[in-house]
Amino acid sequence: MSIPIACRGWLAALLVAAPLAAQSIPVVEKTLSNGMRLVMVERHDQPTISLGWMAQAGSADERPGITGMAHLFEHMMFKGTRIIGTKDAKRDAELNDLQDQVQAQIRQEMSILRERQRRGEIADMMDPKARTPRLQQLLKDFDGLVQEQRGLVVKDEMDRIYSQAGGTGLNASTSQDRTFYIVGLPSNKLELWMWMESDRLANPVFREFYSERDVILEERRQTLESRPGGVVGEAFNAMTWAANTYHWEVIGWPSDIAQVTREQAAAFFATYYAPNNLTAVLVGDFDPAKAEALAERYFGRIPANTKGVPEVITLEPAQPAEQRMLAEVETTPSFQVEYKTVSAVHKDAPALQALAGILGGSPAFMGRPGAGGSGRGPTGRLNKALVLEQKVATSASASFRGQKLGGTFSLRATPAQGKSPADMEALLQTELDRVAKDGVTEAELQRYKKATQVGLWNRLETNSGIRETLSSFLAVGTVKDFEQAQTRFQALTREDIQRVAKAYFPRSGKNVLITQRAAAPKAAEGPMDPDLAALPEPVRARIKAQLDTMMKLDAVALKEQLTALEGRLSAMPPQARPTVEYLMKKGRERLQKLEAK
Amino acid sequence: MFARTALALILGATGVLAQSIPDRPEKLTFAPVTFQIPRAAELKARLKNGIPVYLSVAEKEASPLVRITLTWRGGSYLEPKGREGLAQLFGAQLARGGTATLSAEKLEDRLEALAASLSSSCGDTSGNLSLTVLEQDLDEGLGLMLQVLTEPAFAQDRLDLAKRQQKQGLGRRNDAVTSIASYQMPFLLYGDSHFASQDPTAASLDALTRDDLKAFHARLLHPSNLVLTVSGRGARKALLAKLDAGLGTLKAGPGAQVSPAVPAPTHVRKPGIYATDKDAPQAMVQWAFPGLRRTDPDWHAALVMNQLLGASGFTSRLMKKIRSDEGLTYGVRTALGAGPHWRGDLTGSMQTKNRSVAYALRLALAEMRRMCDEAPAAEELKVIQDNLIEAFPSQWSGRQAVAARFAEEALLGWPEDWWVDFRAKVQKVTPADVRRLAQRLLKPDQLVILAVGKASDMEAGDGDHPGKLAEILPLPLARLPLRDPQTLKPLN
Repeated sequence: MSIPIACRGWLAALLVAAPLAAQSIPVVEKTLSNGMRLVMVERHDQPTISLGWMAQAGSADERPGITGMAHLFEHMMFKGTRIIGTKDAKRDAELNDLQDQVQAQIRQEMSILRERQRRGEIADMMDPKARTPRLQQLLKDFDGLVQEQRGLVVKDEMDRIYSQAGGTGLNASTSQDRTFYIVGLPSNKLELWMWMESDRLANPVFREFYSERDVILEERRQTLESRPGGVVGEAFNAMTWAANTYHWEVIGWPSDIAQVTREQAAAFFATYYAPNNLTAVLVGDFDPAKAEALAERYFGRIPANTKGVPEVITLEPAQPAEQRMLAEVETTPSFQVEYKTVSAVHKDAPALQALAGILGGSPAFMGRPGAGGSGRGPTGRLNKALVLEQKVATSASASFRGQKLGGTFSLRATPAQGKSPADMEALLQTELDRVAKDGVTEAELQRYKKATQVGLWNRLETNSGIRETLSSFLAVGTVKDFEQAQTRFQALTREDIQRVAKAYFPRSGKNVLITQRAAAPKAAEGPMDPDLAALPEPVRARIKAQLDTMMKLDAVALKEQLTALEGRLSAMPPQARPTVEYLMKKGRERLQKLEAK
Repeated sequence: MFARTALALILGATGVLAQSIPDRPEKLTFAPVTFQIPRAAELKARLKNGIPVYLSVAEKEASPLVRITLTWRGGSYLEPKGREGLAQLFGAQLARGGTATLSAEKLEDRLEALAASLSSSCGDTSGNLSLTVLEQDLDEGLGLMLQVLTEPAFAQDRLDLAKRQQKQGLGRRNDAVTSIASYQMPFLLYGDSHFASQDPTAASLDALTRDDLKAFHARLLHPSNLVLTVSGRGARKALLAKLDAGLGTLKAGPGAQVSPAVPAPTHVRKPGIYATDKDAPQAMVQWAFPGLRRTDPDWHAALVMNQLLGASGFTSRLMKKIRSDEGLTYGVRTALGAGPHWRGDLTGSMQTKNRSVAYALRLALAEMRRMCDEAPAAEELKVIQDNLIEAFPSQWSGRQAVAARFAEEALLGWPEDWWVDFRAKVQKVTPADVRRLAQRLLKPDQLVILAVGKASDMEAGDGDHPGKLAEILPLPLARLPLRDPQTLKPLN
């Protein structure tokens, strides 16, 4: 019996498609009487449990003025409760009230400064030098209250209790769509988790609220501002998302971080941290029926938000025109083009993910919804074309990022030496156009499907891996989305991929980011030209300025200048000679380059 | 639904429900958990040519993947002078450059068809070749792995590409305070001529050829340099038979050498405060004290001391003081190097805004002094001990992690049963031990501190708190120039 060649791929696919990863992870889903959801996976390989609960609230649920709020909770939720974290809950609460009162007066002063800044009387309202005498006094008063409270605080008690119980990886993370609080515990400590987590939901105290804003500003400096390209990336994202609340970064704008109030935080908490907006994920060595009963006892005591949790209403309008950002960043030049696409649970998301995988290669780390296909795999079309064959780039990748309210599709390339970032644009476009015109091959599709399976299994081998994977689906969809992820990938056809390649990439949808290497900031003393560094310090600045002028000359003018310098050299006092020799050396190098062109 | 309401009514009426949540978490009681640590000897086998194998496999594993990692002793410490970057390039190219019979493209094509990953890398003292493959494709995957291991081609065009990529990477060395610190610190700790500070330069990358990679490969490919780990789905016996038929037949080739011991640095450190000027909104601060080896009788006491000082997140004193109290950093941590080849260092790091560097360091030093002056309270110590002991089982989660740990330790020459009494030894550490180890290790006159950031701001301090950078310790303050990213020669 002979099989037509075109069918062989399909047959092979049927044979390998048998173990659909997500389907063979049995998930138990329960809802408590107050609406809180429990998602549980039993695994008894070792005596541990990976635990977490998610508030379905992220930075997309914020508004201007309180950006960074969702992430602020990632910090505040570790500051204790009425029971945990203080030696004297009563005085602690009084001190919080007093702090709030002083902060209200501080805000009045800040309001004065804001007005001064608006009128141009001061440059920066946050600058300590701009403070009014009353503000200075209020800050001092406030510091006194903080000092008194510090005496009552049981420092990081929550961390201490978990640590002592063998907790690992106590942490939280915030995205645009959700905030997730996690810890790993020995399997006998499930009730401790129930106690601690329901306590911080039932009895929260946002202790050390105002000083924590400083920690977050440091976090912003570390993770965003001091990373090359960090603030440019923030601006590019803001350009891409005009109306959607993905417009700002999760960490928020600095002005909002510095001025958010405890009252605003309490309102956010009451709205979004109600049990009917929470989902717990438990993976490991426990009995789901017992866990459900415990959860009802502990979490069940928290009242639901009967008003309901507001949805994000604003929809991103269709982008009317191509947008471009040209940036100078202190790092290797790069090119990126980003298109807005669809949410992670949209019916076209798997096809877009597959398109990214086939262009970008190495989809073996797939498995999260909408976070796929990214990579620099050797077999991706972009890498084959731009890096290996044409040798015009040192890396080229494609990625689809599906989130709850929308998604993006990006193509990126790092130009090789001698190529500019702008050169990358047409080359990447050609590869995208090729798919739109001719589609992908059956072999590419089948390989992609197999890779997604392996990729998912890669993430489902440990308790915490399952917790993370499940939660990434729950942040944007449901348990069903997790269970059906593989089925959806396996159902993809070549036509699906060609269709999305045609549909989602109009010219007017382009958001382009071109970065060129910026010179190191002037204030830094290095990296300095060693020849220049050899000159006496007092003359360096002047010589540098002369050199800059010289470098702007054309070949003819430069030659004249060099001749003039040479003529003067013999008449110079010996100590002045090195500076002129330096200028001449640089001038000659420049001239050579100009003449070579 | 109905039943639940009825139950709640009954419980509510008797008050059991309200009472069933204790008012403090300490009042909860827990059934004991027994945990037997996996023993290296139970996982271990040997191939017929002597290569040790650590297998953690099960036929009923839910995941259909098998992972095989071959680790070798040898790395950049074996690089000839002027060939810095050889080990790293070799590591990257082993699995990327094709084989004698398969071009790089064909090899990648086969791997992609299997959805398998075959990757390699090489660091300072060891490297590895690692395969992840579906159980059903194991034979072909193993065959490809063996081919790559024994007859790699190091295709010229792939090598050229890797060199271009690496050279582009060199250009980024001075872009961030973190990357600057990561090349500066080794110079301060190990001097200019030890391999630990010898990073690739543009010239050394230019000089590297395919022949260098081949020679490096030939010298490493000796059964005595190798350790194997296998984890995932499979039957132990059948897997061993397969491995014996393949890797078990490997013999030392003509150029093969047993990798020599890793040389210890001879550099005499100059304790001091070193500032590298880089205009950035936030500075990177790192420090190092001379530490000890894991075989030191006081290792466990040192470990506990270090956890208390700065290695246990929010439970540690530095984090409480510098982050929680003062809001000066997003994170501060210390680490106790186990020093496989020579004694390790007790290191620390944090990032803070330039003007806060002096004050944050002053706070850190005060905490260290307190560790030396007073023994910790028994309760504070207990928190650290309980954590190390209770969290111990979670350190052994996942087949891959367990097999990899045993293999790594075997390669480094640590005793095989080292972990067996770990918990008991941690339990025995007393407050006096902690103080003694603090006094032994936290010697300010031995300290090397590096701060990379805007030097004028770092040196001046923040104005609100006393002290300039030069005044935090009676140690010399020196400016350490940036290095040229291409040559690694100091600038200015």
